[in-house]
Amino acid sequence: MNIYLIKQAYLSLKQKPIFVFSVVSTMGITLGALLCVLTLAYVMLIKPLPYPDQDRLYHVEHQLISNENAIDGRAFTYPNLMHLYNEQSLFEQSVLMYVDGGVITSLPSEPMVAISFITPQWFSLFSAKMAIGRGFEESEKVNSYNPVAVLTYEAWQDKFNGEANVLEKSLTLGGNSYLIIGVLAKSNIEAPLAGAGFKTELYLPWDYNSISERERKRWGNDDGGLIFVGKIKEEYTENSKQQNDQILTTLVSENWQNEVSGHAFFKGWSIALKTKSLKSFIISDGERSVYLLLIGALGLLFIACANIANLFVSRTVERQQQLAISAAVGASRAQLFRNVLAETGLLMFAAILLAQFVIFVGFSVLQYYLGNFLPRIDELELSAFSFSASILLLVLLTVVFSHLCLKMINYHALNSTLQSSGKGNGIQVSKRMRNILISSQIATATALVFINVVLYKDAIELVNQPLGYQTNNITSVVLALPNAESDLKAQKVTALKAELLAHPKVKNVSQAMRPTGFGTLALTAMTTDHRYTVLGKDIDDQYFNMLKQAIVEGENFSAADIKDDRSVMIVNDVFANKLAPNGSAIGFKFKNGVEVIGVVESINLPGTQRIESRFYYPASLARNMLLIEQHQGQIFNRDEMISAMKIVDKKLSLFSFITLDEYKDRRLFSSVTTAVTTLVLAILTLLLSGLGLYGILNYSSQMRRFEIGTRMAIGAKGKDIVQLVFKDNAGALGIGLAVSFIVLLVLYLGFSETLSAYISLDLLPLFILTLGAISLLSSLACYLPLRQFIKKPVIHSLKGSE
Amino acid sequence: MSTAILTLNNIGKFFETEELETHALKSINLTINQGDYVAISGPSGCGKSTLLSIMGLLDVSSSGEYYIEGVNVTDLSLDQAADVRNAKIGFIFQSFNLIDELSVFDNVALPLRYHADKPNSATIKKRVIECLEKVGLSHRISHKPNQLSGGQQQRVAIARALVANPAVLLVDEPTGNLDSKSADQVMEVLDQLNKAGTTICMVTHDPRYADMARTKVQLLDGAILQAPSIKIAS
Ligand SMILES: Nc1ncnc2c1ncn2[C@@H]1O[C@H](COP(=O)(O)OP(=O)(O)OP(=O)(O)O)[C@@H](O)[C@H]1O
Ligand SMILES: [Mg+2]
Repeated sequence: MNIYLIKQAYLSLKQKPIFVFSVVSTMGITLGALLCVLTLAYVMLIKPLPYPDQDRLYHVEHQLISNENAIDGRAFTYPNLMHLYNEQSLFEQSVLMYVDGGVITSLPSEPMVAISFITPQWFSLFSAKMAIGRGFEESEKVNSYNPVAVLTYEAWQDKFNGEANVLEKSLTLGGNSYLIIGVLAKSNIEAPLAGAGFKTELYLPWDYNSISERERKRWGNDDGGLIFVGKIKEEYTENSKQQNDQILTTLVSENWQNEVSGHAFFKGWSIALKTKSLKSFIISDGERSVYLLLIGALGLLFIACANIANLFVSRTVERQQQLAISAAVGASRAQLFRNVLAETGLLMFAAILLAQFVIFVGFSVLQYYLGNFLPRIDELELSAFSFSASILLLVLLTVVFSHLCLKMINYHALNSTLQSSGKGNGIQVSKRMRNILISSQIATATALVFINVVLYKDAIELVNQPLGYQTNNITSVVLALPNAESDLKAQKVTALKAELLAHPKVKNVSQAMRPTGFGTLALTAMTTDHRYTVLGKDIDDQYFNMLKQAIVEGENFSAADIKDDRSVMIVNDVFANKLAPNGSAIGFKFKNGVEVIGVVESINLPGTQRIESRFYYPASLARNMLLIEQHQGQIFNRDEMISAMKIVDKKLSLFSFITLDEYKDRRLFSSVTTAVTTLVLAILTLLLSGLGLYGILNYSSQMRRFEIGTRMAIGAKGKDIVQLVFKDNAGALGIGLAVSFIVLLVLYLGFSETLSAYISLDLLPLFILTLGAISLLSSLACYLPLRQFIKKPVIHSLKGSE
Repeated sequence: MSTAILTLNNIGKFFETEELETHALKSINLTINQGDYVAISGPSGCGKSTLLSIMGLLDVSSSGEYYIEGVNVTDLSLDQAADVRNAKIGFIFQSFNLIDELSVFDNVALPLRYHADKPNSATIKKRVIECLEKVGLSHRISHKPNQLSGGQQQRVAIARALVANPAVLLVDEPTGNLDSKSADQVMEVLDQLNKAGTTICMVTHDPRYADMARTKVQLLDGAILQAPSIKIAS
């Protein structure tokens, strides 16, 4: 390939701005999208974690296995975690982590920060680089109780205005004062151990984690916030996963069995520890999203390619005169190929350049919208990977399209093109190729539209499902109470409630967490000894009234039930049905002496469709969470809340303040995003494939113009011609639909486990709808190009063929 | 008295393009009677093809009135025009206009398939073979057009034009794409058909073939140069 050829190609393309624009924009945008998703897939699925010896990093899961051999919990109990940390010899470095939020009361704005409590080896395990100061060392090891803090670079900038002397300062949090000893470097990439959405701002030594001294000694309470990560020793890497798991399990289990042997509840229960490579632990659910995105992007690329193939076909037909002249003056087949290659290469190069821009924008969009849902998105960047993938695609597409063009050119017939004054057939798209283009467009479009419509339906159902409780006019508040005896705390909260109720804007106050928050608890039936693992929540007597959650049987808690902390509970209808499938659950008793006094309607949690067994029990008067209902049309804001708190006690601080509507929107954010994305993709797919089909069918109608004219000359009417063309393309349409059906079937069989949540017989109407939409689109694509022939006197069609 | 098949009264046609307006036909008056054999000739660009396509309802006139067998067909809808073309007019084009994918049989049968009476397949077959025999090609019934010589293709086109029993054959330069031997054969077939009673209106450049017609019409710049001297068939 030489400069002259490229210059030639450039000059001839300059004459065809619309063609160039269509090819470059379609290809640039779809390639950009594809490369974005490819890079995302690479970062999430293939790219090593950016930490030293990352293949030796493991996360350890703690499984509590019930006497019925079911996994009852997947989280560590505190004593088991500490035992593992202190006694294990499998890992050369190990890290404990616990995450929580807190309010820095020493700063005037009292900001909420995300805190990770960590052990010192965190810094070396994740090779954390410091901007200033130091990380945790031996002096901060477990049980050293050294009150120091490390800030992230962002927290330093945002909360401490990037002050240079920050290291001489302290910060107060939960009544403790911590000396700031270091700030992490900006380039540091946090391992998302606590989920993609959690971005730590402040690191504190493990000793200060928010688990109370009492809880730290309980062998039966597991806590999902407790995380163990370790770097396995070289000599153990030879072992199988089962061997290593067994080593850890034995270590923890024996100790645990001794400790809980006294508890009747844990009779027959056991513990298993499971290692998982840190990389796959971090990815967890993200994998499915990536595969879905990949399918979507590949589908779009496929449609785009079919469309572009189609544009190239028309372009080559247009160029036949030029190619014929080249051939006539002695250009060989290979030279013609180089000609075509230069032009295609130039176009694809421009498309790839545009794609780089799209990738750049796409990364920001992905980071902005999916940063809280997908792990490792921070690591997306224009990289060697995206660059080499671009080059590979460039070469591949150039070769494919050039071959396509060349296949159309019948070199030997080119010469006769000139001799027969343009009526030759040196270049024609075979019917077979046209049918393949049509079928592939239809197959891809059908499959893609169907998948998107299914995801859309699922998402929109979640968005629109009634929750079964009131969200408007209610604000959920979490207080940061100073460390004190329970009675004192209760006094403060009761005083605050009275203060709030006196506020003119406030209608009612309930002492409870937002309606979506539940904890997992185990209950044993009094008579049958049957064990239930259920979601539980502590509330007061105002809760159900405020949320308009109806009691369907029995009664609500009384004020005395709450005040005296009576052994009563209210179950939701799902749990009631489990407890007493044929009768009433009222009066059902559990081993801990608690009795069911009421049955309440179930609520739906925003963003999920599953309704589990749930129960409600009296909250302690010291509970630090409130729901505040405002009078209709009134807005009780954060500042008003803070001033009410300060009246009661200057030391009270506000941990979080969010309306139930905001919370619902937040929980539904990913569903809304999914709904919008899938809808846009479905429309884009229909549009692109509609245009593509129109292009192909328009081309083939042009090719048949002469035949159509002749048929009309001997008496065919418009409808005869339409029928003819429909019949001719029905085969390709049918094949396309059949292929899409097979693709969907294969997808279903291959991923039925992951997709089972989406697949049911209700999808049949959706599938029929999709088929309908695609058929309508194809029909339009068939019909519209014919209008130019059948709506005008026949002579137009006949003349055009001359 | 012979019956008039086609009657054109003051037919005019002009084409409007961006820069100029072409007056292709200026007030044409022409009658073609049952059994006539009319040859239209004239220099290139004088409007012969335009006239023929108006007569064949392939195009509409800009002014004037046009009757086929006494029925006014000046302002028919596209579908009505299609029916009239199918029932009353047989076309023969310079470039044959056979459909490559269809066999000789199917090409010839095509007009019957669009016919309002929807003849059954036995009728179609009988009629197609009859017409192919008239042009001497009944032995090539299952061939594809590209397996035939130019002259043979044109004779298939004639068979196709005849198949629906039209009132008139409209023929545009039938020999333009043929060597002289094939051309002679085609002209011979047309001559036979006329002798057997078929009305023919033909555009031709070739004075030799124009002489075979019984009526000659000279066109110049869209107007008839010389009033036709209609000879009554003896
Ligand atoms: N669609 C059209 N638009 C504009 N002008 C047209 C159109 N069709 C024909 N003409 C003009 O009308 C005139 C008559 O054209 P026509 O094709 O009837 O000539 P012709 O006598 O058949 O010529 P030839 O012997 O070369 O076939 C010409 O001047 C031509 O340029
Ligand atoms: Mg002509």
